[in-house]
Formats: sequence, C-alpha cells, structure tokens
Amino acid sequence: MADPSASYLGKTLIEEISPVVMVLGTPLVEDSSRKNGLSFVDTLRPFSLFHDIDVPVRTASDQPYRLHKFKLRLHYASEIHQPDVEASEEHLKNVVTRASDVDTSDLRSDPPQIDSLLEAAESESLPSWFQIFNKELIHIASFSEHEAFDHPVACLLVVSSKDEQPINKFVELFDTNQLPSLLSDSIMDPKILKHYLLLHDNQDGALETDIKMLTEMRSTFGSNECRLLTINSAEDGSTDWQDNPWIPHKIDASISQDLGCLLNMDDINEMKNFMQDLASKHIIPHMEQKIRVLNQQVSATRKGFRNQIKNLWWRKGKEDAPETSSGQMYAFNSIESQMRVLGDYAFMLRDYELALSNYRLLSTDYKLDKAWKRYAGVQEMMGLAFFMLDQSKKDVEYCMENALSTYLKLGSSGQRNVTRCGLWWTEILKARDQYKEAAGVYFRISNEEPSLQAAVMLEQASYCYLLSKPPMLRKYGFHLVLAGNRYYISEQRKHAIRAYRSATSVYKGNAWSFINDHVHYHIGKWYSFIEIFDVALQHLLEVVACSHQSVATQELFLKDFLQTVQKLGKAFEVFSMQLPVINIPSLKVLFEDQRTYGSVGAVNIKESLWKCLEEDMIPLLPAARTNWLESQPKLSKNLKDSNICVAGEPIRVEIEFRNPLKIPISVSGASLICQLSAEPESVESAVVNQADNNVDGNSSATVFQNDSELIKLKRSWEQDAGSSFVLSEVDFSLGGSETTVIQFVVTPKVEGILNIVGVRWKLSDSVIGYHSFDTTVLKKKTVKGRRRGGQYAKSPLKFTVIKSLPKLECCIHHLPSKAYAGELHRLVLELKNRSKFPIKNMKMKISDPRFLNAGSLDDMKIEFPICLEKRINSKESIVQPNDVEGSNGLLFSFPEDCVIEGETTFTWPLWLHTSTTGRISLYMSIYYEMENSSNDIRYRTLRTQYDLEVLPSLDMSVHVAPCPSRLQEFLVRMDVTNRSSSESFLLHQFSSVGHNWEISSLPPDGAVHPSQMLTAGQALSCFFKLKKCNDLASEGMPSSTTLHGSDVRLGPHDSEKALFDISRAPLANFHSYERLDQGKSIQGSSNVDFILISQLKQNASAASDPPRLFSHHSCHHRQESKSLIHLLVVGYNGVQETFSHEGCIIVLPIVLRNMHDACVIVVIDQAASQVDVRGTALPSNGNVWNPVKNPREITQGTDGHSDICISFSPPYTQTLTNAIWGSSTPGHLQLEDNSMTRSGSRTTTLTPNTYKASRRVIAWFYHPSHGNWKRPNLARKARFVTINNLN
Amino acid sequence: MIVCVSVVGHQNNPLYLQSFTEEDDALKLHHVVHCSLDVIDERVNNPKKTGSTLNETFLGLLYPTENYKVYGYLTNTKVKFILVTTDVDVRDADMRNFFRRFHSAYVDAVSNPFHVPGKKITSRSFAERVSTIVKSFGLGGAV
Repeated sequence: MADPSASYLGKTLIEEISPVVMVLGTPLVEDSSRKNGLSFVDTLRPFSLFHDIDVPVRTASDQPYRLHKFKLRLHYASEIHQPDVEASEEHLKNVVTRASDVDTSDLRSDPPQIDSLLEAAESESLPSWFQIFNKELIHIASFSEHEAFDHPVACLLVVSSKDEQPINKFVELFDTNQLPSLLSDSIMDPKILKHYLLLHDNQDGALETDIKMLTEMRSTFGSNECRLLTINSAEDGSTDWQDNPWIPHKIDASISQDLGCLLNMDDINEMKNFMQDLASKHIIPHMEQKIRVLNQQVSATRKGFRNQIKNLWWRKGKEDAPETSSGQMYAFNSIESQMRVLGDYAFMLRDYELALSNYRLLSTDYKLDKAWKRYAGVQEMMGLAFFMLDQSKKDVEYCMENALSTYLKLGSSGQRNVTRCGLWWTEILKARDQYKEAAGVYFRISNEEPSLQAAVMLEQASYCYLLSKPPMLRKYGFHLVLAGNRYYISEQRKHAIRAYRSATSVYKGNAWSFINDHVHYHIGKWYSFIEIFDVALQHLLEVVACSHQSVATQELFLKDFLQTVQKLGKAFEVFSMQLPVINIPSLKVLFEDQRTYGSVGAVNIKESLWKCLEEDMIPLLPAARTNWLESQPKLSKNLKDSNICVAGEPIRVEIEFRNPLKIPISVSGASLICQLSAEPESVESAVVNQADNNVDGNSSATVFQNDSELIKLKRSWEQDAGSSFVLSEVDFSLGGSETTVIQFVVTPKVEGILNIVGVRWKLSDSVIGYHSFDTTVLKKKTVKGRRRGGQYAKSPLKFTVIKSLPKLECCIHHLPSKAYAGELHRLVLELKNRSKFPIKNMKMKISDPRFLNAGSLDDMKIEFPICLEKRINSKESIVQPNDVEGSNGLLFSFPEDCVIEGETTFTWPLWLHTSTTGRISLYMSIYYEMENSSNDIRYRTLRTQYDLEVLPSLDMSVHVAPCPSRLQEFLVRMDVTNRSSSESFLLHQFSSVGHNWEISSLPPDGAVHPSQMLTAGQALSCFFKLKKCNDLASEGMPSSTTLHGSDVRLGPHDSEKALFDISRAPLANFHSYERLDQGKSIQGSSNVDFILISQLKQNASAASDPPRLFSHHSCHHRQESKSLIHLLVVGYNGVQETFSHEGCIIVLPIVLRNMHDACVIVVIDQAASQVDVRGTALPSNGNVWNPVKNPREITQGTDGHSDICISFSPPYTQTLTNAIWGSSTPGHLQLEDNSMTRSGSRTTTLTPNTYKASRRVIAWFYHPSHGNWKRPNLARKARFVTINNLN
Repeated sequence: MIVCVSVVGHQNNPLYLQSFTEEDDALKLHHVVHCSLDVIDERVNNPKKTGSTLNETFLGLLYPTENYKVYGYLTNTKVKFILVTTDVDVRDADMRNFFRRFHSAYVDAVSNPFHVPGKKITSRSFAERVSTIVKSFGLGGAV
C-alpha cells in the first residue's frame, strides 16, 4: 500500500487536523484588509499552508524527526464555536447550487456512456465539488468540545497602527467577553500562546511611529511575541497577479474584484515570513513543549501498572454516575482532557504512535465513564491514527465502526459527527481500494442526513460502486436514481437530472422497462421544469409508447408529453415515432399500369389468378427474341427498375398502424411523403444535397438536429406539397391496442419519376411524426412474399409516371348481393370512358360462365322476363355468341364495331345464373385497346370482382324409371324440396331437353300440382311421362348444340302464362354449362336433361317488381334399370286357329332394347333344349352354346365393343312338349348401343291350348372384350331373365 | 413476509416479477431485484469453489437493504430466482425448500410448449402456483 500520508485522506488530515490559530483583531485592522477585498484572516490564509517548512521536532521520547508540510488554521475568535445548523445547511446548499450551475452547460449534450464513465472514474475526474462539499460537511462538525484538535493552539492579536493606544487595545482584545465558549467555559486551557501583531497600512503614512509602538509592545508583552506587519504598500494601481494566491481560497467566486490589489511582492513576502515564523518558531515549539509536559503528567498518573490499577479502582467508584453524553465533567485540567490534548497535539505533529497510545488509554476511560460522545471521538481518532500508521485494516475498521455506531446511538447530538466519521471512513476505504465497502458506508450515513446531503452521499456511493472491481453497474445506477430523487426533493433539479442521466446509461437497452420508464420520464419532466423542452421531449418520447404500463401511467405519460410539446410552442417533429407503431412489412402498394381495377375486391386478388384468367386475351409480348445474342427489346431503363403508373391516376398505399397503448390516440393529417421529379437521375442527389444545405438553416425544433433522414423527409415534404402531385390526408383515431389499416393516396399530376419515401402524421394535433419507408426491408419482403406484378427486382415505391391514358370504369347494374340458388338475372354492364380518346377492340373474360354469361344486345330490347318467353313465331335463328371456351373461363369478344368514344358510356347485357349455393366470387376482366396510343402501354385491362351470396332455394332431383309396359316410355319422378328459410316458390314449368324426348304430364291431361305453390320447407313429388320420339324420324336431323325440348306446364292447366323458351340463350347457354358441370359424357343422346323453372312468390307489396325467375337444371339422366337388355314380347290375347294344317304358327314379336352404351350381339337360340338354366357354369358342349362356338365369326365388325349374346332356350318345364319354337331372325343379331330392334319368335303348336310363355327363359351372354371369347368359363357371367309378360 | 419473487433470465432480463404487498412499490422492487443482480454476478464470477458448494444452486442471502433481505438462487441455465423478504431471521432450510419448489414451478411453466424461451412468463397457473408457494412459506415447508 502506498504511503497513507500521500493519499487523499492523508493530505486532508494534515490540512484538517492542524493547529488552530485564533485571530483577534480590531475593526481598523479589518478596514485595512478590506481595501484588498479580503478580510484579515483571508489575507493571511494563503500563507498558512507550508509545503516545506522543515522544522525539526522531537518526540516525547526524544526521537528527532522533521516536519515538512504543515498548516495552520486561522479563525476569528467569533468563528470558533459550533456552526449554526441552519446557516451551515444554507452554506452547503450554496455549494451544491454553485456546482450545479457549473454543470449546466452539458445538460444538453448526450448522456454519458458507461465506457466513458468508467474511464472518467479511473482517472478520478469525478465531480471535484464533492471534495469541497465533504470538507464543508466536516467543518460543520468542527469546534466540538469533546475533541481537542479544534481547540486554538495560539492566539494572534492584531492591532492596527492607527488604533489609539494599541497596548491597551491588545489587552482589551483578549479580555472582552467575546472569547469563544471553549475558552470562557474552561473546556480548554485559557493560558494559550499569544502573539501580538501590529498591522501597518502603508497608505496611512510612514512606519516611524509604528516602530516606536512596536518597541513599546515588545517591552510590554515580550520581545518574541510581538511583530509588525506592513500591508498595502503597492501604489494605487492594481497589481496584476499572475496566479492570485487568494482565488483558490475564495469559494465565493462572485466577489471577483481585484483581490489583493494593494499588496505588492514585499507585502506578500513579509506575510509569508511572518506566518512561517509563527508556525516554526512559536506554534510548533510550543506544541512540542506542551506534549512533553503533558506526556510527563500522563506518565506519572496513568502509565505503569500501579496507575492503571488505581485508575480502574477509581473509575469503578464512579460507575453509578449519571450517563452523560457530552457532559461538563471533564475540565481542561482533568487528566482525560489533558490526555486528549496530548493525543491531538501528537497527532497534529504526526507522532501517531504517541497519539494512539493516549487515545487507547482514553477510550477505556471514556467507555467506563459512559461518556459516549467522547468515546466515539477517541475511537474515530484511533481509526485515523491506525490508518496513518498503515496498520491492519481490521483495527481501522473496528475503530471506525465503533465510532460510527456510537455516534449513531447518540441520536441528533451526534449526527454531524456521524457524517464526519463516515466521511473519514469512506476515505480510508477508498484509499485502500475497498470501494464497495465505502459505498456501503456512504449509504449508511446518507440515512442520517437531510435530503440534500443524503443525495450527495448517495451519489458518491454510486461512484464507489462504479469504481469497485468489477464495477457494479446496477448498484451504481440504483444509487444514482436514489440520489437523483433526493436532489429533486431538495430542489436541486439540475443535479437530479445529472444523476438520472448518468443512470440511463446503465439501464439503456435492457429489458427492465419499468425502471427505464421511470428514469426517462423523470428526466423528461425535470428538463421541462427547467425549460429545456427539446431534451425533455427526447426523453419523454422514450416512455410515451410504453405498452407494458398500466392505463393510468400511460395516460400520465402521454399527458405530460403533450403538455411539454405545447410548452415548446413549436411544431415538434419526430423521426420514427413509435406512436402509433407502423408495421412496415404490412405496406402494400396498389397502382394501375396496364392493369386497372374496377373494385376494391379485385385489387386483393392474387395476380396469378388474373394472369390465368387473362391468358388468352392479352396479346403476347412482341419481344420474341430470335436468339439469345439479340438484346432485349429496348425498354427505357427507368421502366425496368420501377413500376409504371399513369398521370392522374391514384396510387394507393396501405399501411398498418397499431396503437401500442391501452388508451385511445388520435392521428390527423396523415399523408405520404413523395418526391416527383422530371429527370429520373437527379432525384436522389438533389434531395440529398438539399438536405445537406439546409442543415444550418433549419430552425424548427427538431430533436435530432443531425438526423439527415428526418431532414430529408422534411425537405421532400415541404418542397413538393401540392405542386406536382396530390396527396390525401387521413384523420383517424385508434382505440386502445387497436390496429387499423390506413390507405393513403397519391395522385401524380405530371410525368416523371415518383418516389414514395415516407409517411408523416400528426399526433393529437401537436406532434408531427415522420417515418421513412426503408426500401431494403421492403425489397427483402418482396422476394419472400408474392408481390403483385412479380417485379421482384423493382422497388415497389418507385414509379415512372407516364402520360395520362384512357381508363375504363365499369359497373354492373342490378347485380344482387344476395340471391337464391338458380336465380336468373339480367344484368347490365356499363362501361364508362372518362377520357377523350376512344377505346376499341374490347374483349371480356369471365371466370365462371356457369354463373355469368354475356348476352346479346337484343336481350335489352324486351323486358325481363318476357324476353325469355316462347314466342309463337320465333323465326330468328339462335344467337350463337362468339364465345370460346378458354382454358379458364369464357372469353367473349365484343363485336368489332364496338368502340367507346371519349366521355361516353357503353352498356351490354349480362346474364347471371346462380347455380350453386354459398359465397361466390366472380372475376371479370375486360381488355381494351387505346387508339392513338404512342405510349408504352397499348392496351389495358379492367379487372373487377364481385361477390355474391347464394342462398339455397329449391332442390330438384329427378328419377327416371322405365315404363314397365312400353319400351319407349319412361316414368319420371321429380322430387322438389324448398330449402329456403322463408320464401315460397311458384313452380312454373318442367322441361326436358333434347329433340328426341317428349315429356308430358301424368295423367296425360291432368294438371300437375295445380296450386304451383311450394312453401318453405315443403317437399313435393311430381310424376311425368317421358316418351322417346321415333329415332328414325330424327335420324336425318343434324346434331346441333341447340336444345330442343318439350315442356310441361306446372300448375293450372288453363293458365295463360307463357312458357319460357329453354332453347335460346341465355337458358340454353346456362344449360350447356350445367351439363358440362354435372357430367363429362355428353355424347350419346340417350341421356336426358330436365329443367325446372319456377318463380319466387312475391309479397303483395313487391308485386310491381319484375318476377324473379329460377331455373334448376338436372342433367344426364338415364332410364334406370338393372338389366342391360330389355326384352319385350308382344303377346296375343287369343289366336283363332283351325288346325287344318299341320299346325298353327304364332309369331310373337320380340322387341329388344340394349340399355348399354356398347354394341351388343344377341343370340336367340330357340332350338336348344335340355338346358340346365340354373347352372351357373355352362359346359361348352351344351347345345345352347352352339352359336358361340365360333366367336370370331360373330364378332366380326364389332371390334372393340363388348358383346352380348342372348339365346332363347326352350322351356325347361314339361308342358311344351307339343310346341316347337322357331325364330324369324337370324341366330344372332347385333344391337348398337342404346338401340332397339325387333325380332320375331315363332311358335308352332299342334293343339289349341293356352300357353304360358311366361315360363320361358331367355338367357343372354355378356362379354366385355372379344379377346376373351376364347375362354368359355366366362359364361359364368350369364344371367337369366324371365319373360314375364305374355298374355 | 415475502415481499416479492422474481425470475431473471440468463441475460439478466426480467422474466417474472410478482410483488406480494399492497402498496404500489413495484418500481422499488424492480430496483432492488435489479441491484441484486450485481451481487449474483459477483458471486458467480468469484466462486469459492469448495467441493460442497460447487454445484450449489442456492446463493443464500445476497444483501440486506434498508428493510429487505434479498435471497438468490441460480439454476443451471443461469436463470436467477430472487426473493425479497422483510423477515429478519429466515431459516436457511426454509429458504432452500422454497427455492426448490419455486424451481420446479418454473420448470413446469417453461415446459409449456406455448412458452417462448427468453420471454416473460405470462402463465396464470404459474402465478397461482407461485402465490401458493409464497403463502406456504415458513409454515413448516413440507407441503
């Protein structure tokens, strides 16, 4: 360890525990000194510290040593008393306030960083006023009667030469009752060393009389003790001191007048000599002398074994003495007081061993006497002595702890000493690098002090934590916060701010948000108290967006923030304010280049869907490179790296705003910040330059003065507002924790390059927030997510504005938002061209033609629904819209001559049929080309999207069963259920589709469901007869897509309501799409489709409205049958026969119908016999299979088809022995799919009888592929059909 | 009486802090807990590695402040549990028992698949369990 006396504490002790010289002077002395702006003591004070006095001293045991550094403390007699509490506190306050004034300058700078703090702490450049403050605190406790080192050692009597009768004055000075209580109350020895000084003011005249006076004094008081001092010898001019010796001693810098202006070098030298003589020739020898005397006395009375026993004995007797804390019980001549004086003198002369031994003795005495204050004082001195002797830490700590706790026990009377003792102790600990312990001591003594002192103590404690190894930063911060709090209580706001600001560095960036908020909030508030509003706002900004705090706290923070902004009196501008929070990844740019959007919904549809829809409609890019060497077609550079938008058309930007607070906030005037410049290249640089140029001239109250980003944003805001583009302003309010998407609009007015750089808003009408769109973030996101347009490399916020172009607007009239399933609507598409240029070559693509279909202009002529009704003389041919089935949806080209002139509208009918229930989105894209388009854009598309909700209405199902008695007729059962919740429907018409089908009601002339009504939830079944027209008759007609059908009116038979024509557009169109939708196989005419047409039963109130029509389609019905071949034998009721010939021949016609799709070969074998019809595995040698023996022959010409063989077998019953069967047809016949053939079966019978043909069996054979004919075991598939209809 | 328990993450970020007093002293307790991290740091970085205390999770009394005593516990994932109490003399065994149970409650809470490691513990059941443990503190322990 370093030399203790070299430490700070050592130096302090040498200065603080040093002999006191009491100065008594006449008023005239003071007057002379005042001329220099100094009191007499102050005049001498610079010379009372001797750096190298070099006085030889001997200890009590005659050990010689030399004193080098020495100090005398000069005090007026009037000052030698315990300082007044209030006055001293006032004084301390002044010290602190002065320090705070010094520090104000850096209040505006950034708060210190941890690293710099640590560095500063290492280099011990802590606030120097702490030392001053600590000294003042120690001074408060001075001149206590319980310790002797503050007792004056000598008395300096000063009389001016102008005083009359100076000798008398000297006597008077010492005899007055003005002497300090220490002397008058005989706490100390009144016989103290006196020194007489005659002060001569050179301005008052010559020295002669004074010298005479001096000799007179010498004769009176002794030659050594008298002296003459001349001052004010300088000419009237002011002496300029290079380094004025008085300034460091003058704490009140306010009196900055010329100190010592009348003192010249001679004066000073004389004063120096005087003081040195006083110290070395009088005081030190006097003290040395006294130490010897006292030491001898103490040795005589206390040292040695005998004395100690005696002392103990004597003390014991006093044990029941009253416990007094300070007590007057020790007079100056008591042995205790003398020991104390001895100790203190020894201490002052740095004979610490001697001092310590006396203190030790004393402390036991005082302890026994229960003189606690004195005991504590002695312990304190022991601690210091141990320290100065560099003795063990333990002893020091023990003594200091003892002293401190004893002082603490004393309560208020010991309070000042607690502080002093604590300060000593902390200094000891600091000198030994025990910073942590020092901090603990600071903290202990801070508890005993009023808030101001406590604040300073705590701040010192915090620095100790900072200095401890390793630094305890959190404790540092905490104690700073505590100190700041105390500072604030004692109205030292600047200090409070300073403390808190230092603490911020600890809490910065960690998650202890409660603490952080507290610190920032208070700093902000205090700054606003001292009216540094911009910095205040900077701190308040940190806490204003605190989402974790309670509602009340958030309100408080916001309120204070806004109040401060108002006090600022200017618009307060913030870059990247967190209130509200802007979710940048949510940023979405909506703009229109070739692609224009007719509805909001259309914008949000994925681009790929539109691409797919428009695939066939949009012309391919002409840029087909023939080989890779050829460069890309010349696109101007700016088109490649930016989006294209059209002047006059708005660009929409959607951003998500989130309120982090639980209280509502209001935002007004939110708008985008954009730059639009004609020259593509110069945009960036121009703005940057401007920003640079305007840094100095920027006078508004921006917090981040050097934040070029903000300035850039501000520039672009101020520069462009309203000139070349139009911005929308949005006002909105956000509830607690609410998130909302705000749409901003910018409409460029001229061509050029448009950059959207940021957004600006006003919070609560006072704070302007800026936020820039960081394009790098957006680009990243663009690559990840699907961005519209697929232009990944482009910045989504940069646009090339091109000349204005025509733009179509579209709207569909009469489109319901809610409809029932099957509903048929006529809509009107209205296209509006607002520009002056005509538009041509329009095409339209509809995503789902099942729902939406383009009509023809004729549809508009007649009112709906009459236009759908059957016209008697409908001679017009069916309009075939020139539509093409695209890969996805329907492409419809408007007629060539369709041109929309400028500023006109154009209408076209559309048909809507809601075929399924649920939510349905319809997409429609209209393509159009511009005439005289010299631009990059030759065509545009208009995309619209419509949503409608379709509710269930009627549920129709149709069941077709073959008519048992007629092969060409079928029974149709239509089940219809009303699925709607409340509506009733009127059934109107039931139609079958197909030219070869005819539907009629069953019974033929009856009315089907006369009431027509079907109420909600009701189900109904109707029966119809379906008849197949003669195939041969329709054979010649060309197959066409037109639908011929037959209709049955539902309801009263005599209704005059017209039937609807299902064979024309749009019903026919919709039907064909329904067919497509319901099944794939459209070939073959054996399938039948049905259409049910109904109307909504309307309320009386809505009677005037056009009726709402519904059509329900049910397709691909077949006659349901389990068998593949239908066979009908037409029987006779009776045959009259004479039997004149050999026998009677009866021809039973057989009608065969193939119900299967494939070609079938039927074999009718009537000659066979003896067949086990029930056998499942027929042997190959059975007669019945004879025709099948040569299958190749049979199947010729039916290649690829499955074949069916039918063979008639003779009855296996015994009854037909006398009848012979024969066939009128060849052995096998080929049946095309779904076709019918007639055959005859001849029976010859010899006897009249009644024959039952019902017992006959027909067997047919089905084979899937003719290759398998070779395999006879396939006969397992043979089935048996019983003829059950004869007679 | 236990004034406050808290969980501090391995980066010294607060994960959970619950005060059990009526007064509005959250800020103060935040400070106290925050400061105690200094002491934990000190203990952890200068361990007196004797055999028995090598794997000791219980850090004991961290420091006494004005009215409080602060106890600490360090898990093997460097998550710290800090307890602030006003009781003057607390039995070491009680304290160990408390921390052991608190640790298991914490483990259960962070085992929740919906808990994001390193984020604040918001589980209500954890809070309930902690308050049960706190209530039963000092009542003989064995529950």
